Amino acid sequence: MTRIKRDSIAYLVIAGFCVVMLSWAIPTYTPAYPGYGASPALVSNVAVGVILFMACLSLVRIGLALYLNKPIPDSESKFPEDINDEGGFTQIGRVKLDHLARIMIPCILLVIAIEYVSYIFTAFIFLMIFQFAIGSRNWLTSISVSVILTAVLYIVMRYGFGVPIPGPQLF
Amino acid sequence: MEMIIAGLLDSISPASLMFVFVGVAIGVLIGAIPGINGPMAIALFIPVTYYMSPLTAIGFLVGLNKGAFFGGAVSAVLLRTPGTPEAAATSWDGYPLTLQGKGEKALRMALYSSVAGDFISTVVLIVIAAPLAAVALFMGPAEIFALISLALTVIAGIGTNSICRGLMAAGLGILVGLIGTEPVTALPRLTFDVYQLGSGLSLIPVAIGLLAFSEILLQLERFTGKGGVEHSTKFSTKREDRMLSLKEFFANTKTLLRGSLIGIGVGAMPGLGAPVASFMSYDQAQKRSNHKEEFGKGRLEGIGASESANSAVVGASLIPLFVLGIPGNLAVAMLMGAFMIHGMQPGPLMFKENAQLMYGIYGSLLLASLFLLVIGRFGLRFFCKAVDIPAMILYPIVVFTCIMGAYLGKSSMFDVGVMLTFGFIGYFMRKFDYSYVAFLIGFILAPEWERALQQVVIISEHDTFMFFQRPVAMILMALTLFVISRTFWNGIKDDRKKQKEAAAEAGQHKGD
Repeated sequence: MTRIKRDSIAYLVIAGFCVVMLSWAIPTYTPAYPGYGASPALVSNVAVGVILFMACLSLVRIGLALYLNKPIPDSESKFPEDINDEGGFTQIGRVKLDHLARIMIPCILLVIAIEYVSYIFTAFIFLMIFQFAIGSRNWLTSISVSVILTAVLYIVMRYGFGVPIPGPQLF
Repeated sequence: MEMIIAGLLDSISPASLMFVFVGVAIGVLIGAIPGINGPMAIALFIPVTYYMSPLTAIGFLVGLNKGAFFGGAVSAVLLRTPGTPEAAATSWDGYPLTLQGKGEKALRMALYSSVAGDFISTVVLIVIAAPLAAVALFMGPAEIFALISLALTVIAGIGTNSICRGLMAAGLGILVGLIGTEPVTALPRLTFDVYQLGSGLSLIPVAIGLLAFSEILLQLERFTGKGGVEHSTKFSTKREDRMLSLKEFFANTKTLLRGSLIGIGVGAMPGLGAPVASFMSYDQAQKRSNHKEEFGKGRLEGIGASESANSAVVGASLIPLFVLGIPGNLAVAMLMGAFMIHGMQPGPLMFKENAQLMYGIYGSLLLASLFLLVIGRFGLRFFCKAVDIPAMILYPIVVFTCIMGAYLGKSSMFDVGVMLTFGFIGYFMRKFDYSYVAFLIGFILAPEWERALQQVVIISEHDTFMFFQRPVAMILMALTLFVISRTFWNGIKDDRKKQKEAAAEAGQHKGD
């Protein structure tokens, strides 16, 4: 998929999101106007309105360029994976869903499991899985990093900051 | 006068000295690691400051930021991998010197230039912030509302190639910033009946997710399944290749002064940021040099120009924060969050309400410059080793620190979920070229913007012409419209230029 196509789909999704926000979410989850000051929905409506306007404007711009058969700039006709963007803040490129899943799933499982199992056990397992997911195959290093990191953060949180450790306690 | 002395004495208390020192040291170390920058370091370490006094906390974070700015030069010079955009210009002359075995000399030049730029801008901040703040005190809610509107439009252009996408990101940031309790009715708004959202989303999990976690997600793309990248840097053992003589340093005095002034000018204006300063300064240094042809091949002047300018931005960017309560860049936005967490609202009133603390912060800023010099001078070799930390050890540490950092604020796993969500959103924002900088600044400024608007409406009793009765507010609103229309006009011109280039290229292909 070329970048211009991908951007168009993104603008459509954003415009859809704005319509849902304006027609359902903001009216349902905003308190009623109390009779003084500005309406509690005013700023959120303006913010979503700006997003919707910009998304539509971008779509119109793309649509006009295609309709008038204007040449598409190189940076937009390319495939995202071919764009070597080193601008610093953004890194335009292909979304790697398999990579995202490999990193995000262990993190989500950690958040769920830590409340039911214990911090120490969950953190150790998470770190082992995470290191495996990013390509570490040296078991000695993986175990050392997992044990040391789990222990250091446990000591810092419990004895340094005195914050409650998440999940049931083993010690 | 008493306040000034008391504040400065506070800044040299053992706890304050220690935390500024530790902040600078950690900042340099973290900045030296490719891919980790100042704002990210601040986001990761704000939870740690919950347990400090306001002065030690701000001193620690300011030290961290200053250290990270110089630390960014370490990876730029030794690896040509600038962790931050502002260090890119440093790598142009720094890396060629490293290839010649003169990496240590290049780093010394970067260090002394950084300290010079940073010190000059801190002095300028101290001299002009309080008088400007006194003027800013005359600003009412209408002016504040207009000023935040202007800041949001200026900032929307940072970190993206499209103003439309920048404004969309800023709008989304504002929307997310509005989640929580509505200020007039004190009832929940946009919480979707999730009780944890009743007090709104905390800055820390949102910032850690957007800045640190999403960056790690991107960086890990290079490593998953490949076992990481190992590298090592060779240093010459000859004294003249390692050390920087006084003659060599003072030969660049003009460049350093020019760079510092450029950095101060750019830093004082919201929205431009350190990369603009370092590129402008490098460009000026090259244009005015008698040895233009040596730039990019390992000229110390190039390093000095870039580093003095980008470090001068650090102090100067605090001017809009202290004077107007507006964060000019991401690092300052994070510092603004830290101020708020410690119960202070950045802006001109700080000089009235927390005068002693302000002078304490000034003292810490100056001390941070001194510590940067000492730490950089004696720890240079050690920091050079930081760039060689294996990725397989570094990334688990950073990711787990992100998770536990998000947890620390409220001791809530819900915040870890928020951090992961915004990490995920940040990954897509970067891939699709939406400015997460504009998002974050919109998120931080939204409550203040809404408060100012509510005050305007209540004070004026729904008089829509109130802005026309306040000349400063009217000028600021006119400037906002001017910035928007000029940016759009520039965008249209750019589009036409690109289309012409594309048409010319297509014609050439046909001809072939």
